[in-house]
Amino acid sequence: MRAWRTFLTVAILSVALTACGAEDTPTSSASAAPAGPWSFTDGSGKEVKADQTPTRIIAHAGEAAALISFGIKPVGIYSDEPVKTDPNLKNLDLTGIEILGEEWGKIDVEKAASLRPDLIVADWWPAEKANSGLEEGVDEKSKKIAELAPIVGISQGKSIVELAEGYEALAKSLGAKVDDPAIAANKKRFEESVAKFKAAVAAKPNLTALAMSPSDDKVYVANPEYAPELLDFQKFGLQVINPDTPDPGFPYWENLSWENADKYQPDLILWDSRNYTDKANAEWGAKQPTWFKIKAAQAGATVSWPAFWMHTYGDFATELDKLTTAVTAANENIGS
Amino acid sequence: MTRRTLGLALLGGVLAVVAFLSITLGSRDIGLSEVLRALGGTGDTGSTNSTVTLELRVPRTLLGILVGAALGVAGAVLQGVTRNPLADAGIMGINSGAAVFVVFAVTVLGVRGAGVYVWFAFAGAIGALVLVYAVASLGREGATPIKLALAGAAVTAGLGSLTTGIVMTNVDALNELRFWQVGSLAGRYYPVLTGVAPFLILGLIASLGLGRVLNGLALGEDVARGLGQRVGLTRAAAFAVVAVLAGAATAACGPIVFVGLVVPHVARFLCGPDYRWILPYSMLLAPIALLLADVLGRILVAPDELQVGVVLGVIGAPVFVGIVRYGRMAEA
Repeated sequence: MRAWRTFLTVAILSVALTACGAEDTPTSSASAAPAGPWSFTDGSGKEVKADQTPTRIIAHAGEAAALISFGIKPVGIYSDEPVKTDPNLKNLDLTGIEILGEEWGKIDVEKAASLRPDLIVADWWPAEKANSGLEEGVDEKSKKIAELAPIVGISQGKSIVELAEGYEALAKSLGAKVDDPAIAANKKRFEESVAKFKAAVAAKPNLTALAMSPSDDKVYVANPEYAPELLDFQKFGLQVINPDTPDPGFPYWENLSWENADKYQPDLILWDSRNYTDKANAEWGAKQPTWFKIKAAQAGATVSWPAFWMHTYGDFATELDKLTTAVTAANENIGS
Repeated sequence: MTRRTLGLALLGGVLAVVAFLSITLGSRDIGLSEVLRALGGTGDTGSTNSTVTLELRVPRTLLGILVGAALGVAGAVLQGVTRNPLADAGIMGINSGAAVFVVFAVTVLGVRGAGVYVWFAFAGAIGALVLVYAVASLGREGATPIKLALAGAAVTAGLGSLTTGIVMTNVDALNELRFWQVGSLAGRYYPVLTGVAPFLILGLIASLGLGRVLNGLALGEDVARGLGQRVGLTRAAAFAVVAVLAGAATAACGPIVFVGLVVPHVARFLCGPDYRWILPYSMLLAPIALLLADVLGRILVAPDELQVGVVLGVIGAPVFVGIVRYGRMAEA
C-alpha cells in the first residue's frame, strides 16, 4: 500500500527544492554511545532490547537525516530515489556512509550484511503495518534486511512534529547529546519558526490555503488527513481546506478534472514541492485555460508545500519560514 | 440513394448529435443555455463556464472526432493490408515508437510540454513503422503479413525495453510517460489539435483512395497481382497512410485501445466486405464510439474524470468478444 509514494513520484514532475537543511549537520562530533543495555519502544508499540547500545545503524533516507541532525552517523543508508535528489539527503555530507539502495523497494541486502549492522531505523507505517523498505510490493530480497538486526521506527502519518520528536527520543537513547547547543539549535530554530508562523497566520484570520498538485490531465487536491505536515499547519492555525470528496480508492487526494479546477477558491495555494518551481504557476497558467480561474493562482499566491518528506526540525523550520513569508504576503480575501 | 449511402448519412447525423453531447456534457455542470450562449459568442467571456466550453470542450471534441476517425481508418487499413482481422496500430510498434521518442525528447533534449513533444511522438511512430517494414522486407518473399506481425512484435518489445531502461534512471521521464500510458482526450487543447490536425486530415483523405486496392489485396496477393496491382507499392502506400494516421493520433492522445480493432468489424457488419464502404463507415463509427466513451468517462465520476483509454478498455473487451462471435456467424 505504500504504492502511493511511488504513485506520487510517478504522478508528478519532481523538481528540485530550493536549498534547505544544510545546517542540519552539527559541527560537533558524534557522541560516544553509552554501553547499554539499551531498549526503545518504537512507533509500532514494540520494545526493542539489546545488551549493548547499537552503534552500527542502517537507516532509511529521512530517518538517516534525522539521526545525522542529532550527531549520529549511520553506517548505511537506503532511499527511495537517488540520494542526490532525495530532499532529505541531498544537502548532507554522506561521505563514509554506504548507499544501499536508491530506488523504492530495492535494498542491497548483501552489502548491508557486510556492514554488520546492529540496528535498522525505518519509519513505521501504521496503515500498512510495515517499516519503510519492507512494505508490500518491495523486492522480496530487500525484506531480508529485517533479518540482519532489530528494526525500530517512529510512527508516520499524523504529524511531522511528532516524527521529529520521536527521532529525537531515539537519538537520545542511542547516546546523542540532544541538549548540546549545536544540536539543539535546530529545534530552537524550529520553535522560533513555529512562533513566527502562528503569528503570521493569526494576523490573517480569514486566510484559507489549499494543497494542490496540477498534472497534465487533472488537478490533484491534497487531503490533509493523510498529509502529516498539512495536519501540523492546521494545528498551527492555518486553515488548510479539507476536500469534500477524496478519491475513495486513494484518499490522499481529491481528483478534479481541469473543467473543475476552480472548485475551491483558496487565498493561498500550497503547491506540491515535487513539481514546484518559481515559474510553475506561470507555466500552468499558460498551458491550462482554467488554472488562472483559481483566483489565488491568478494573483500568484503560491508557495512550495514540503509534501510527505520531512523528518527533522531543521528542514521543517526552513520550510515553515517560506510559508510564513507567503502567508504574510497573501491577500486573505482573494479567494472569497 | 442506396442503403449504404443512407447508412452513411445516418452515421453522420449520429456523429453530429454525439459531438453536441460532448460539448454540452462534462465533469463540470454547465447549463445548456449557457453553453449555447458561449458557442454563439454572446456568453460572459470571462466566466469559467465560457472558458470550459470554448477552450476545453470544443477542442476536445474536435480532437476526438479527428483522432477517432484516424484510429478507425488506420485499423481498417491495417486489417485489410495484412489480411489479419486482429491487426491494430499496436502490432506495428506505433505506440512504443511514439513513447520512446517522447522519453528521449524529455530526458536527453529536455523538451517540455505536449505541444512540442507531439512531434517527437509522431516521428517515433513513423520511425518504428519504417523499421518494422524494413525488417519484414528482408528475405526473398518480402514483407508478408506474418513477417510484418512478427517484426512488429519484436520491434515493440525492443523499443519497450529501451523506454523502460531510460525511464528507470530518470524520474522526470517517468512522469511524462504516464501521459503516454493511458490514452486520454483531457488536457489537450488547441496547440495539440492544430499540431496534428493537418496530418490527420491529409491521412483521412488519402485513405479514401485505398478502398479499391484493399479490395484487391483481400482476395490474396496472387489474385491482386493477377488483377494488375503492384502489390508492393500499394502495400507501402497503405502503411504510409496508417503511419500518418495512427502516429498522429497516438501523438495527440496517447495509446487508445479497441477503437482501431473493433470499429472496422462493426463497419464490415453494417456495410459488407467492400473496403470502399468500410473505410468511410469506420471514419464515422470510430469517432462516435470514442466521443461516447469520453463523455461517459467525464460524467461517471465528476468532478473527476476517467481517461477515455480506461473507459474503452473496460467496455471494449466484452463488446469485442460479442462482435467477433456474431461476426463469425454472419460470415459463415
